[in-house]
Amino acid sequence: MSETDFRARIRKSLANETLQTALDANAERRTNGRATAFESLPDWRERRQRAHAVRADAIENLEGYLEQFTSNAEQNGIIIHRAENANEAINIIFDIVGEKALVPEGNASPLLIAKSKSMVTEEINLNHALEAKGMRVVETDLGEYIIQLRNERPSHIITPAVHLRRTDVGQLFHEKLGVPYTEDIPTMTNTARKILRDVFLTADVGISGVNFGVAETGGICLVTNEGNGRMVTSLPPIHIALMGMERLVRNLDDLALMLSLLPRSATGQKLSVYTQIIHRPLPHQQRHVIIIDNGRTKLRSSPLNESLLCIRCGACMNACPVFREIGGHAYNSVYPGPIGSVISAGLFGSEFVPLAQASSLCGACKDACPVDIDLPKLLTRVRAEQSPTIDLRSKTNGLSILSRIFLKTYARIATYPRLFAFSQKFASLGTYLLSPFSEYIHLPAFTGWGYSKDLPRFARRTFREQFNREASKDIMITKEEKKEALSQPDVFSSPKGLSVQIEKIGQFVEELTKVSGQVIHIAENDLTIKVIEFLESKGVNQIHLEPNILDEDELQLAGITVSHERNVSIRVGVTKAICGLADTGSILEANDGGDKLYASLLPEIHLAVLKESDIYPSLENAINLTKESKSAVFITGPSRTGDIEMSHTIGVHGPGEVVVFLVP
Amino acid sequence: MNTVQLFVTCLVDSFYPKTGTAVVDILRRLGTDVEFAPDQTCCGQAIFNAGLRDEARPSVEHTIRVFEKTTGDIVIPSGSCAHMIKHGYIELFAEDPVWLARAQSLASRVYEFTEFIVDKIGVTDLGAHWEGTLTYHPSCHTLRAMNIDRQPRALLENVKGANIVELPEAESCCGFGGIFSMEHPELSAEWLKRKISNLDQTQSNTLVVTESGCLLHIAGGLHRQKKQQKVIHIAELLNHR
Repeated sequence: MSETDFRARIRKSLANETLQTALDANAERRTNGRATAFESLPDWRERRQRAHAVRADAIENLEGYLEQFTSNAEQNGIIIHRAENANEAINIIFDIVGEKALVPEGNASPLLIAKSKSMVTEEINLNHALEAKGMRVVETDLGEYIIQLRNERPSHIITPAVHLRRTDVGQLFHEKLGVPYTEDIPTMTNTARKILRDVFLTADVGISGVNFGVAETGGICLVTNEGNGRMVTSLPPIHIALMGMERLVRNLDDLALMLSLLPRSATGQKLSVYTQIIHRPLPHQQRHVIIIDNGRTKLRSSPLNESLLCIRCGACMNACPVFREIGGHAYNSVYPGPIGSVISAGLFGSEFVPLAQASSLCGACKDACPVDIDLPKLLTRVRAEQSPTIDLRSKTNGLSILSRIFLKTYARIATYPRLFAFSQKFASLGTYLLSPFSEYIHLPAFTGWGYSKDLPRFARRTFREQFNREASKDIMITKEEKKEALSQPDVFSSPKGLSVQIEKIGQFVEELTKVSGQVIHIAENDLTIKVIEFLESKGVNQIHLEPNILDEDELQLAGITVSHERNVSIRVGVTKAICGLADTGSILEANDGGDKLYASLLPEIHLAVLKESDIYPSLENAINLTKESKSAVFITGPSRTGDIEMSHTIGVHGPGEVVVFLVP
Repeated sequence: MNTVQLFVTCLVDSFYPKTGTAVVDILRRLGTDVEFAPDQTCCGQAIFNAGLRDEARPSVEHTIRVFEKTTGDIVIPSGSCAHMIKHGYIELFAEDPVWLARAQSLASRVYEFTEFIVDKIGVTDLGAHWEGTLTYHPSCHTLRAMNIDRQPRALLENVKGANIVELPEAESCCGFGGIFSMEHPELSAEWLKRKISNLDQTQSNTLVVTESGCLLHIAGGLHRQKKQQKVIHIAELLNHR
């Protein structure tokens, strides 16, 4: 993409009114959401510095951590692959699916792949490669599903369909899926839920990305909101996770720190609805992780290496005034926005270098970055042709010829003080001749300067001519003021004492209610009765049930049957939560397969039994419990999406109701 | 009396000499001995930021040479030029230990104007007087790159007679960004439009900035749109008595 193409794309975006409205709404919503979310993390500034250090350490010692991760994951039964580039990654996947990948003959149906959102698969253009081999690939994140149906690329790494209005989606679903046209977002969401449910249950392979790999435990972490990530990683017999090689953190404590920042920055949530930490394959499941380089090793040894600290939250895009005007597609890269302008040039090629010129270096991106990447500095390095992909023969940094000539001339002048002073006089005279009667000159638009503003005349007498060496007499007597403290100490209170447990319970209830979850307090011996009452109120007589929580005889007497088969018509599942988190209203579930997995994953309503004493203050206090399960998930309220016009819609793929039965 | 060097910046020197005079007046009233090294030209920021690092180097070396011959703190009425000298020079000479050391020693002497008044001298009331409603645009480099915000705001609060109102979306860029506004005029124009419409909302006739780049850009935009509001550098406002 040349700089002229880029300029043309910018103009096209600016002229697209639908896009402009969508982008304004996105920027405002996301910026406000993020600000509110960080209010609940008073020590976020300090956390941000720690997170920077954690990521910097991971990149610095990447090879060591990769080895550690690989050996631990392999010990846990996960199969690890390394791919140098896109082709290798794709071939590894072909090898894994093996015979099944062959184009089926006659009436055999093609191999079905269910995918959850993954930017690294976009980066290597995976869908295209799989489809070329005759496989059927279905994106299951609502936003990705929409853009797959439109045959487009994501326009934002977090909200891929942010450029579309609900009317576009309604029309698309009507045309491609044959459903009646609607502008009702819950109806559209429900259509996708129904169609994709079938995909999850029949898929041969699930493909996902990875948010973080944990070196010390060999685990992988995935955060999603809709529930498709859980389905893709637990229902098909083969799960393949693709991970950029830089995605590692040292241990679970570091992961907890990153998780306190990632969802807040990405979507303004304290915790995403589903925070999965996967350590082993489920019974009868193959789990693979493909670690992808694709230019990262080169990037790591280049002056742009700080860009590898990125945790892909998209906050810099939401904060960026350029992104707000042009949207993701104008960048013509999988990774748009400020970080995209750095890593696209760093990973993919010098044709992306001009992207970095589209920045006033205002620093809003650096400010928004949860790991404090110095994006303005990196952008100037891209402009200075320090990207590892730079092609020295066709050197261009995207600067127009006019600007280049102007700056080069000015650079010469600024080196010689007399020439500098002479040029000032010359410019002053010139501008007075051009505009003898007005202080301002109306330059033509092609100069850039004249596009939207007028140029003032140069001063008749420059400052250097006016500077008066004599000190004026009226020295002011000032009252000396003490310097204000540069910053106030962070208020970070850690609760102690007995009343703390009650406080934690209160906080848990409050937070879960905020994310549209429900809490029912009960006495322990009442549990089965209360569950039965609840089921009767919903008219439900069949449930998925984790063993040993409820009195099954009593259930039977009440006419409620317990299913042990995977059954999509069952509307309620009952599990016992491992623990709760007070500050986010989350519950921890082990996804180890069988009844327990189905109960929290498939039904519309998820009932979780939680002991009050199992409520921990925060994720960082409980994250080590995830090591015990094959696949653990922190669930924070019902499944949700904001993929259509960022309208908050409950119940996409996972349960639409989460009810916690709190027992003493 | 403390000696202070004024690095006036090329924009103030060429377009807004009154800003430079105001800085000198204020610093002298505060009891400092202001010197102006006449060989100073431009810090090289625009050239460096555009990616032309080799081309920027001679003017940067020139600036270092000029100020090495002087003593005392260096005061700059611009957050972005101060940032260039404090951080850009270090970046430019990262691979050159000799010049790096010279750049570092220069960097340690550099202050943005309001930072110097409030943090170094310890004064927030300059006895300024201004009748009317004011609003403040925190320039990007002053605010985010230099982390200077409470200093100009404290100084403004003590301006007698002034009614200070908050500018909506104050912290968003006005769209100047040096060569950016010429490279991508369409983008720059959008932000300028937004900045001016936010200014309209305040009903204030005067917009205060800490950066002459923003001043050139916003005042030029106001003139193009035939608007009456004025943009003023904070030094000139604080020197108004």
